[in-house]
Amino acid sequence: MASISDIALVTQVAVFHNKQAFDQLVRKYQSPVRRFFLNQTLGDEQLSDDLAQETFIKAYVNIGKFRSMSSFSTWLMRIAYNVYYDDLRARKQTYDIEDSSAVRQSANTGDSNIKMDIHAAMALLKPDERTCITLQLIDGYPIDQISKITGIAENTVKSHLKRGKDKMANYLKENGYGG
Amino acid sequence: MEDKNDILLKQLFADAAKQTIEDNGFTERVMMNLPETNMAESRVRTLSHLWTLFCVGVALIAFWLAKGWPIIESVYSGGKHMLINAIEVFLMTAPTTEININPWLVVLLLGFVLIFLPYQTYRKLSATL
Repeated sequence: MASISDIALVTQVAVFHNKQAFDQLVRKYQSPVRRFFLNQTLGDEQLSDDLAQETFIKAYVNIGKFRSMSSFSTWLMRIAYNVYYDDLRARKQTYDIEDSSAVRQSANTGDSNIKMDIHAAMALLKPDERTCITLQLIDGYPIDQISKITGIAENTVKSHLKRGKDKMANYLKENGYGG
Repeated sequence: MEDKNDILLKQLFADAAKQTIEDNGFTERVMMNLPETNMAESRVRTLSHLWTLFCVGVALIAFWLAKGWPIIESVYSGGKHMLINAIEVFLMTAPTTEININPWLVVLLLGFVLIFLPYQTYRKLSATL
């Protein structure tokens, strides 16, 4: 269930179109949403911020549809997931090229070696596997919440997590981690 | 039970999980790009919500002033007896009277449907957030 402070802010936005209340919601959730996109795009900051902005605008426009049956963060992450997949579909033909350029970009922004290796390992994953892995390992969502955010059945989420973790662990072990 | 892969990945992702991204003007950019709401439509919606709240308030006060709870109790017990009587009469006059059905069984079945259906609806709505 949504926290009381979130419900109060959402009510302010939905009923009275209070932009100050929405400002507080954006400030509170900008970090997890931008971090989610940063991990999905393998470190492409510009694209991540554009997608995060689109997510918050969609949340603002559709805030009247929020029913408090899940937490506000779960609802927001579901919008973020949909925005990411819409963008992925739109760029499908050039996805492979952009994907590799994103990896290069993160390598050029002075990230630590571990971060570069993690992004390189995540580049091996399919988008669904990457989403499930980051939602669990970085954002700390349990499997049932990941299922709600992505709309993927819990057993499929478990399969994505198992396959994704195996792929990443194998890559990282080959590169000298966990020895 | 965690395997070695889980432990290795959790260690490597531990720092990433703690990472907080600084706002750096992001919120301002979002707020500047929010679509403008239609003021007339917004005002009508706000008035509509306020009117609903007012009506709910009036109804609650009327309920309290008219000592509504005993009325609901009497309607409930009267309704329960009427329902049982109606089922008994139906079972006596229906063409299948050779089958002996306890009226309480019918009430339980009705109760099951009335509880199960809303529960299923709630689950479906929860699944779609």
